[in-house]
Amino acid sequence: MSAEAQALMHGALFTLEASVVGAVFGIMIAVMIALLRQAALAPARWIAAAYVSFIRGTPLFVQILVVYFLLPGVGLDLSPLQSGMVALSLNSGAYISEMIRGALTAIPPGQVEAAQALAIPRRWIWLRIILPQVAVLIVPPLTVELAALIKGSALLSVVGVVELTRSAQQIIAVTFEPLGTWAKVAFLYFLMCFALGQLTRQLQRLKTTGLAV
Amino acid sequence: MRVSIDTDALAFGFPILLHGLVNTILVCCAATFIGFAAGIPVALARLSRWSMMRLPVVAFVELMRDTPFLVQAFIIYFGLAELGIRLDATVAGVLALSLYATANFSESIRGAILSVPKGQFEAARALGIRYFSLIGRIILPQSLGYLVPALTNQIIGIIKDSAALSVITTPEMSMAAQVVVGESFRPVETYAMVAVLYWALTTTVVTLMRQVERAPRRIWRSGERAGVDHRLPIEVSE
Repeated sequence: MSAEAQALMHGALFTLEASVVGAVFGIMIAVMIALLRQAALAPARWIAAAYVSFIRGTPLFVQILVVYFLLPGVGLDLSPLQSGMVALSLNSGAYISEMIRGALTAIPPGQVEAAQALAIPRRWIWLRIILPQVAVLIVPPLTVELAALIKGSALLSVVGVVELTRSAQQIIAVTFEPLGTWAKVAFLYFLMCFALGQLTRQLQRLKTTGLAV
Repeated sequence: MRVSIDTDALAFGFPILLHGLVNTILVCCAATFIGFAAGIPVALARLSRWSMMRLPVVAFVELMRDTPFLVQAFIIYFGLAELGIRLDATVAGVLALSLYATANFSESIRGAILSVPKGQFEAARALGIRYFSLIGRIILPQSLGYLVPALTNQIIGIIKDSAALSVITTPEMSMAAQVVVGESFRPVETYAMVAVLYWALTTTVVTLMRQVERAPRRIWRSGERAGVDHRLPIEVSE
């Protein structure tokens, strides 16, 4: 393998890792947001709703730049990668929380009512009845979000994170062959996202045939 | 720790950013209209019986949807330049965003067409209605209930993705932000203001599209009262 191909493969792997890490932190943020949206306290619900609205209403590109410039200003000295991952996680957290909200509405209210009639504690209703089902229902949309993260992480190149797009820019700076390099990069992104798309389709089919849930 | 908001930087940057906002709106409007106009034939080609029509369109749509918009913009701006096609940054930006919009819109349009019951196609064919009348007068009007919310999401996506065009120096709002930061050296205030302006823009678009969404529903409701199938807008028969 040439040095160029090696750099691109390395970049693609890094893109994949960053996306998975972003999704994992995103899930954690999303669960918190989803719980806040169910809170009895109204201001807690407003904060969660405002967060989701703002993240979903602004470009990821701008979010990455705001986080990149804001965090050092408030005393957090983070590397470009760290601040990029913060932005990516905050972003996916908002989108995943909407998926959780969708999954919650898909669970028949009769289940919760039955559990309440059986005097099952509220904590158990959540942990044993609602969340396990949400965890299954959320898998197909999560694969869609992971593909979105793979594509979105290309924007991390702007703050200097050496993922696939940035490594391509570094190669082009040496070889001066933008077209061929970008075509290879596009193909690598395509492979990752197309494979994920196929997985999504398979998972959705599983759900409709009733194997899941 | 340095937590102070420079109001002078905000006052300095605001008019430049507003100008950028206008450009963002113009670029996104152009991409939306081109994407919608081109998306209809692309969707119809993908639904075609002939694989000669279908395959190139499937390849185009999947390639556009499974690669980052940033990379697409780089290919159109820097990649085409290698072939001797040197585009102005604005032209390249609009072209990239339009192609991206075409691929995304076509999938929404395809879904909307598929949401219309098959019997409608068969009935129209049985009555000898021409293909263009079938699509334009029977299928698309009925698919609006599905199409408008889907397109709203797509347009919001176009607005947000257009921010990446600043990387190829298309003069839109994010590019204006870079110019402001270069002068004022206050990136936090500037990008925060940019974020608020993008949020205002996307929220306005969502609110406007809700109004558009309501329009056909009013027609449906009057149909329901009259005992007509709710999927059939009454105005179609003329």
